[in-house]
Amino acid sequence: MTFETTICNQNFTLHCSGAIFWNNKNTLLIADVHLGKVTHFRKNGFAIPNEALHRNFDKLMEVVSYFKATTILFLGDLFHSAKNTEWDLFVKWSQNCGCALVLIAGNHDIIQPYNYEELGIKVVDFLIIDNFMLTHHPTDSADFFNFSGHVHPGITLTGLGRSRMKLPCFFQRKNQIVLPAFGAFTGLGIIQPEEGDVIYAIAGLEIVLVQKS
Amino acid sequence: MNQKELIAIGKSFFKRQGWTAFPFQLETWNAFLQGKNGLLHAPTGSGKTYALWIPIALHLIRKNKNFKEKLPPGVKAIWITPLRALSVEIKQAAEKMVLDLDLPLTVGIRTGDTSASERVKQKTKMPDLLVTTPESLQLLLATKGYDKIFKNCEAIVIDEWHELLGTKRGVQMELALSRLKTIVPKLQLWGISATIGNLAKAQEVLFGVNQNPEETVLVSAQIHKKIRVESVLPEKMETYPYRGHMGLHLLDQVAEIIKSSKTTLIFTNVRSACELWFQRLLEKYPEFAGEMAMHHGSISRETRQWVENAIRNEELKVVVCTSSLDLGVDFAPVESIVQVGSPKGVARFLQRAGRSGHQPGKESRVYFLVTYAMELIEASALRKAVENGIVEDRVPFLNSWDVLIQYLNTLAVSDGFYPNEIFKEVKSTFCYQEMTPEEWQWIINFLVYGSQSLQAYDEFKKVELDPDGCMIIRSRRTAMHHLMSIGTIVSDASMMVKFLSGGYIGSIEESFASRLQPGDTFIFGGKKLTLFKIKNMQVLVQKAAANATSKVVSWSGGRMSFSAQMSELMRQEIHLANKPEQLSVELEALEPIFKRQRKESIIPNANEFLIETFKTREGYHAIFYPFEGRFVHEALASVLAYRMSLLSPISFSLAYNDYGFELLSDQEFSIQDLLDNNLLSTAHLHSDLQASLNATEMARRKFRDIAIIAGLIFTGMPGKSVKAKHLQSGTQLLFEVFKEYEPNNLLLQQAYRETFEHQLEEGRLLLALERIALQEIVVKQCSKPTPFSFPIITDRLREKLSSESLAERIKKMTASYLK
Repeated sequence: MTFETTICNQNFTLHCSGAIFWNNKNTLLIADVHLGKVTHFRKNGFAIPNEALHRNFDKLMEVVSYFKATTILFLGDLFHSAKNTEWDLFVKWSQNCGCALVLIAGNHDIIQPYNYEELGIKVVDFLIIDNFMLTHHPTDSADFFNFSGHVHPGITLTGLGRSRMKLPCFFQRKNQIVLPAFGAFTGLGIIQPEEGDVIYAIAGLEIVLVQKS
Repeated sequence: MNQKELIAIGKSFFKRQGWTAFPFQLETWNAFLQGKNGLLHAPTGSGKTYALWIPIALHLIRKNKNFKEKLPPGVKAIWITPLRALSVEIKQAAEKMVLDLDLPLTVGIRTGDTSASERVKQKTKMPDLLVTTPESLQLLLATKGYDKIFKNCEAIVIDEWHELLGTKRGVQMELALSRLKTIVPKLQLWGISATIGNLAKAQEVLFGVNQNPEETVLVSAQIHKKIRVESVLPEKMETYPYRGHMGLHLLDQVAEIIKSSKTTLIFTNVRSACELWFQRLLEKYPEFAGEMAMHHGSISRETRQWVENAIRNEELKVVVCTSSLDLGVDFAPVESIVQVGSPKGVARFLQRAGRSGHQPGKESRVYFLVTYAMELIEASALRKAVENGIVEDRVPFLNSWDVLIQYLNTLAVSDGFYPNEIFKEVKSTFCYQEMTPEEWQWIINFLVYGSQSLQAYDEFKKVELDPDGCMIIRSRRTAMHHLMSIGTIVSDASMMVKFLSGGYIGSIEESFASRLQPGDTFIFGGKKLTLFKIKNMQVLVQKAAANATSKVVSWSGGRMSFSAQMSELMRQEIHLANKPEQLSVELEALEPIFKRQRKESIIPNANEFLIETFKTREGYHAIFYPFEGRFVHEALASVLAYRMSLLSPISFSLAYNDYGFELLSDQEFSIQDLLDNNLLSTAHLHSDLQASLNATEMARRKFRDIAIIAGLIFTGMPGKSVKAKHLQSGTQLLFEVFKEYEPNNLLLQQAYRETFEHQLEEGRLLLALERIALQEIVVKQCSKPTPFSFPIITDRLREKLSSESLAERIKKMTASYLK
């Protein structure tokens, strides 16, 4: 269900939901929830199952209570579209979740920041904490270790007998790690790993370290 | 005017052309003028067009006493053709008749190719005789006040009905007819079909369940055409590839055929092969330049029309083409047909053969160019099928919810509809005769609420329910989305290929375009092109340097499978290989391969079922040879692998072709276990199929089309690209979401049903297993891959099946994510 790892002397727990828990700071990192997407589609006449949108909030609650987190840093694309009724659900959730919330704005976050600020949610372009830089787009930096989202990383695994499967994953390359998309209605961007990359694939409730042997 | 006098008018027209009416034409004229509905069974090029245009004209003369002065407004007769390319010929035929008989009738075309200005003109004054396609007819139903357009329509003709039957476009047609029959109760309905195995069913589907089939007539043209089938064989069999796609090593022989015929059509199964043949032929025989052309569905309409005209005018020596030239008008100068690779079915082969030798008394000449050794068996089987007149059935679709949803949206876009009224009409079609009121209610809820109940916070909006019960789409944007999706039943998501400097070349599938990087060179439309960039669903290209190496454009194109008829013929041929005294030319040519097969393994007799096992670097292989066609093999492989995996945790990779299938695993497995546990049994077949991972994979692919037809996928809108981006999602993702959150969704279930009925052909699978049960099973442990197995084990398109847990499998896979 989880996978422990240490980066720059800090302890992190990767969770099968796609979230990362920063143990030392009691903080959850979550990327690409894409709230509002289901409703946005439905508003335009595409009948995406409503249950998918409730699943996002259920997952958020599950992961917060699992880690007893006090802060959530959203690494962008929290909201997929302009405001719609899912915003109201988000407002309700944000007031009851018991966490301080920060949004690092992504390309989909077109809702004006004051809407978040009214809820006490800070909106920033990026965030630097200790040796870490948190962004939406993966960012190369010599000085910081980077956490980001945006690409919805997924990996195609091939095995003997030519079997294949596609799974969402955490993707670590040198001094950055890209989180998988947290949202229930999000696709995968398949990555091509290179020598030295570390892949944590999410296989249902398990996290499996995939390495080149 | 009485009927006899009317017929005389028709005959006089024929006489002035120097023709004599065939008996089947006269029979159709008479039946039509007696007010009957019917199906005309006649091949292309038999004179079927005038078998129906004439009585339509005669009927209009009879009906309108003062027809020379005044005709009621609106369209009088509709001619539906499944192929736009045919519409021009049909229109010209009608015009010729109208002119000769001096009738005050206008003839017009309305297809996707009709210009916007022409459409507007038609809106104010519809042509009297309208030639159109199923899609364009749907679009007319999406016009406000469409009932007025059809009010005075007397007749509708569905041409090439065999092409529509067994497709979703056929279902689209059934629905449109159900509406037209209500608007115009006196409408006369005629279909035209080429030979298929189940003509009676074709008739039943055309007329729906409310019309007694006995009240309709079947007119048969009874024209027997001589077809000569010859195989193009290599000089030396040893050099023949075990598997291959293109058959280019026989280029020289084909060139000889081209040289000795006035015009030759070379049919390939996929567009990529078409491109390659064209290119190679030109390279090796530059003297053909200027006299050769290419014709496939991705090439721009202008070019295709130019090619068609050039064939007719005897300007071309050879045309490399795909199924895009299967149907349609006569090309008199065509003398020879070359079929590259297996056509997979007798009907398709006959259709193509029929494109040659159109002049009276001439025979059709068709050369089967075998692309790899085993295909020679097919060549031999096909020849026998042609001799014995064996043709496939076309199986009509049932309960295609996606098409129904599209149709109801269409009605909602125009004038809106009242569910109770439309329910009765829909129930009267063959496709939806078994639909329950509950299923209907589900569809209605889906359209109005986007789910089965109204939920708080929901903003779903598509079809609105008026207080008086009328269901209507009011949002212009939703209406636009819908209108743009109507043509989607046939086409894939495609992108236009354009020169950077302007100039449209054709269109390619999005999936191919997405694999190209700027700077990549590819061959398309016979030209070497370099990708500049992809923008707004357009592929912008430049001419490539002459020496650039290129990828050939490859189109996903459906993989075809043997029909039941072809499979039966194939088995008979294989068994003949053991009877040297009865060998056909093709089988004789195969003897070197048979010899090796016998050495490594056996050639099964009619009472034997062969299973081969061997080990390679890739793992442990087991090859089974039912000779039932790839779709049945796909299903059978999946069921067997699943049943094997229940015995102990194991992962299989599956491969199949039309002859057999393979189970491949990284661990050793025992065929004796398989036999001891009676895993080839028919018991629990359906549930085993469902449980095998494979069914889900296939359903996922089926769901793609369903989602597009039902309007669940946003296909893009010109000029709105940025905003529209938020509405784009892949069908894969949709499938996952539906599977997880709405497993009872009728569209999702339809994907599974289509998988079982149309793709897995569950019915055929049962028969195959029953047949195998009567055979003796022969297991051969081979030291290396056998000639029969080679095309199967080298297939790169594979499915997987596993009973190991996901984590276990991943541990095994870790090694190889980096290639």
